[in-house]
Amino acid sequence: MRTETQLIAAAQAGSADAFADLVKLYRDRLLRFLLTRCASYADAEDALQDTMINAFRYIRSYDPRWRFSTWLYRIAIRNAGKLRSPDVVELGDLRDEENDPLLRCIRASETENLWVSARRLLNDEVFAAMWLRYAEDLSVNDISTALDRSVSWTKVNLMRGRKTLGAAMNETDTKSEAYG
Amino acid sequence: MDKLANKLRQDAENIEANVSDELDRRIRASLQGVTPANDQHAVRPPSRHAGFWWASSLTGIVAAAAVIAIINSQQDAPVPQAKPAKLFAAVPTIDLKTETAVMTSPLQQELDALQSDIKKAERRVREEVGL
Repeated sequence: MRTETQLIAAAQAGSADAFADLVKLYRDRLLRFLLTRCASYADAEDALQDTMINAFRYIRSYDPRWRFSTWLYRIAIRNAGKLRSPDVVELGDLRDEENDPLLRCIRASETENLWVSARRLLNDEVFAAMWLRYAEDLSVNDISTALDRSVSWTKVNLMRGRKTLGAAMNETDTKSEAYG
Repeated sequence: MDKLANKLRQDAENIEANVSDELDRRIRASLQGVTPANDQHAVRPPSRHAGFWWASSLTGIVAAAAVIAIINSQQDAPVPQAKPAKLFAAVPTIDLKTETAVMTSPLQQELDALQSDIKKAERRVREEVGL
């Protein structure tokens, strides 16, 4: 079994198989993230495929000082951003409760999934920062690198995101208690 | 870890998303057609043989030496000197005959006398010209 460093070296030498093995660990997590930003499951899959292709194409520019997951997320966020460019139909308009890929993939639970509220309440960048912090456990430095933002911007917006989602969570809890 | 962070982590895990075998095959197939680009995303020309650089340097040195030699060899030739043109040859010289005014009376009288002389001179010229 080759280590991540060995797989990166082999991928940089041009081995597509080594790259496919390298990203195996991250694919499901990336797909989950892309589901929160795409209008359909098929779009999320396409975005994942594009992310993989771009990552392999520019694997030689990968700087080992970064975590590999940070670098992959940076590419994924850019790809997701392209899907939301102004010349594309607004994704929010296309969403409906039945076809929303995020809602379809959420396991039934007693309370509302907070990421659904996050998507409604936060803008794309703050949502991504919150996701990378709490779903992926990335450090503030890694998040600022992935989003191409300063560390102070990241800290401030994580705090704002927390405040907004904290209020949403409290509201949901209050409603649950009220209904019983 | 606080309540919000726990909730966010748990909710993220509740999102079920797995790469299907079909998508895996698709990704692997598309990767086969991709070649990693160079670091600078630029196509660099292949490096030249060292002899090429020596040859081009020598050619430059020889060319510079030739130019210097040609310039130096031309310094012995006499430099043609242009003759100064006679600019005033065609222009007639005006012989001005002036006399110093001798002030023998008060200024007003002198002025009147001079104006009278001018009128006389003018009349004489007119008579000579035939006007």
